[in-house]
Amino acid sequence: MKRTACCDVLQLQAQPAIPPFSSSTIIRQAPTPPPTTEKNDPPAPTRSHGPRTRTHIMSNTLRPYLSAVRSTVTAALCLENFSSQVVERHNKPEIEARATPEVLLTPVTISRNENERVLIEASVNSIRVSISIKQADEIERILCHKFTRFLMMRAENFFILRRKPVPGYDISFLITNTHTETMYKHKLVDFVIQFMEEVDKEISEMKLCLNARARIVAESFLQQF
Amino acid sequence: MSHRKIDVDKFDDEDAFVDENATAQGSTAVSAQTEADVDARATEVRNYLSRGDTGAAVVKALENPPAGREVTTVKDKNTATVMAALAAAKSGDILNIVKSLDSKQVDILMKYIYRGMASPELYNSAVLLAWHEKATEVAGLGSIVRVLTDRRTV
Amino acid sequence: MSSPEVFQLAIGTPITCHAFNKDRTQVAVSPNNNDVEIYQKGKTGGWELLHTLAKHDKLVTSIDWAPNTNRLVTCSQDRNAYVWDWDASQSKWEPNLCLLRINRAATFVQWSPKENKFAVASGARLISVCYFEEENNWWVSKHIKKPIRSTITSVAWHPDNILLAAGSTDMKARVFSAYIKGVDSPKAYPLWGEKFPFNTLCGEFGSEGGGWVHSVAFSPSGDYVAWASHDSTIMIAHGRDNPAIQIPFGGLPLVSLIFASETSIVGVGHDCTPFLFVLRGQQWEVIGKLDQGTKKAASSSSAFKMFQQMDSRAQQQNPEVELNTTHQNTITCVRPYAGTPENVTKFSTSGVDGKLVIWDLLASGMAGLKI
Repeated sequence: MKRTACCDVLQLQAQPAIPPFSSSTIIRQAPTPPPTTEKNDPPAPTRSHGPRTRTHIMSNTLRPYLSAVRSTVTAALCLENFSSQVVERHNKPEIEARATPEVLLTPVTISRNENERVLIEASVNSIRVSISIKQADEIERILCHKFTRFLMMRAENFFILRRKPVPGYDISFLITNTHTETMYKHKLVDFVIQFMEEVDKEISEMKLCLNARARIVAESFLQQF
Repeated sequence: MSHRKIDVDKFDDEDAFVDENATAQGSTAVSAQTEADVDARATEVRNYLSRGDTGAAVVKALENPPAGREVTTVKDKNTATVMAALAAAKSGDILNIVKSLDSKQVDILMKYIYRGMASPELYNSAVLLAWHEKATEVAGLGSIVRVLTDRRTV
Repeated sequence: MSSPEVFQLAIGTPITCHAFNKDRTQVAVSPNNNDVEIYQKGKTGGWELLHTLAKHDKLVTSIDWAPNTNRLVTCSQDRNAYVWDWDASQSKWEPNLCLLRINRAATFVQWSPKENKFAVASGARLISVCYFEEENNWWVSKHIKKPIRSTITSVAWHPDNILLAAGSTDMKARVFSAYIKGVDSPKAYPLWGEKFPFNTLCGEFGSEGGGWVHSVAFSPSGDYVAWASHDSTIMIAHGRDNPAIQIPFGGLPLVSLIFASETSIVGVGHDCTPFLFVLRGQQWEVIGKLDQGTKKAASSSSAFKMFQQMDSRAQQQNPEVELNTTHQNTITCVRPYAGTPENVTKFSTSGVDGKLVIWDLLASGMAGLKI
């Protein structure tokens, strides 16, 4: 089971959404990745993951959900270079330092249902976007945990990924003014949206693989008798 | 070792920024008055809704919201009123209702949309997402920016 | 409509700020680092790097070029400000350190209209007003401190050299007196108070919605002060006692603004396009974007794909990397380029995308008015 999960994760990582960092490559206003790969090509409504009562309502709310996240992140991503008011000659992401109350903005939540939420906390020079990923059952919970852990252990490859999620959420991004200066702002937003999409898809694919594998294992085990 | 964690600057710094909306100094008299207003408004909104006049109900519900340092229970009560009005609107009517609001009212509406989405266990997010879409369409990103900057939370 | 002149001065690096000399043949910019670069307008119309002024040891936050004395002043997050004098005999810029006496970053600097003083805003919650002391041959400063409660983001001088407007992250815009004995001669401003000793607060304005102030500006007459705050609003105050007018708009917040005349304001910010505000009758109005953008030819890939994108991930435009505006990222600085303070005909902008753009206000403004 572990191998299946990891394989899929590696597949996702093999098409990095933001060009992998190396000190020799100067990524300035670097165009973020070609947003579409063949992975995205199958028609969108791949949301139905088995017979759940609310499924069709949920797929109807995906588009407004993502567009609400998109507009809110765009509105919150108005960052500037802000030198710390507390520590001399320092420059810290204020949303993490939390030492200067006046430069923090009101945090907002966008929710699709009780399990899928996005928390957006903005400040003068940084924003934090935390995502709660849908976990309908125990398998999805395990897969989600493994998946996010895998990504966060490699956070340096993803620039804006935070090493630890905000409590109550599964994964967090920390975008600072340095990121908006070196990358196109609208592409950063695209990346967050694309991530939200992919992660759902990835987890449900992994779950299908896992179930199929379990069936094969069970069948071959029962053949003995 | 607790003394090591004391923020000494807090005692030293008389010019520090003070957020008037976060400090709890609202007098009880004000609160009682607001509470009465909130109750009265809830009744009126219910009347509009029973007559099927959703547009008027929404406008009424968005009037003079208790915000900032007001008591949380009062704010919750008013949120419930606004949510009832928003949920009653048919999805086809939303755009027209939003268009009939002035820019201040849309900003308040936007605040309540985010307030509602913060508690998905109480309010239907699908409805709020539909409202959010139309409100952004009409008032632009500026309205969202104003929700973020406004410290008078509802 | 004549299209704006675009110069890609820095590739892939933001331009933090820019300032032209008097005859607009040279421009000083900071490419988001510790240096100040001076470019000379070349014969072919491009800009060539002439000098690099390397003295600061942290990010340069602001530059101002005094047109008549031909002096540069720069300030930086290293808490220092330098006045640079052009030494023609050695043909290089000579730095003079100023005694700001601040212990946090300097965020903004501006010469006074008579060019005998300048004001440095800082994160130390104070403004250093600097003037030249002949006997010591040194730029010294006086502090404006009360009642500022947070980082000052921007300052602007009244055309008469005495009053100073300041915007800060404590959501307030204020007007102070920066009258310095021996440098200024007293003046009366009935709009802004009775007496003006140094550090007098001549007006304090806040918006009810909050949002820190990014930029302030005095109108050419000095009767109005306008500021842009982070709640996507610009505010205009007429004197100390009149309530400020609030103009919310639907775009993202503005970070820099200028008066183009007594009745019009140009603001730039996170929307990658300049906005025009005009006083019509008694009412200030948002006229709209000055950069309508060029419509890109729709890419020939299938319409199906586009709609699929729109549906599945709420993407509004086709997934192209470039925006259809002239600037590709936040515009951080706007300055008048040609015309008089009462009637600016051209203005220049620079932004995070490393571009310096010169706009013809009349041409692009008229296009805006039609819409």
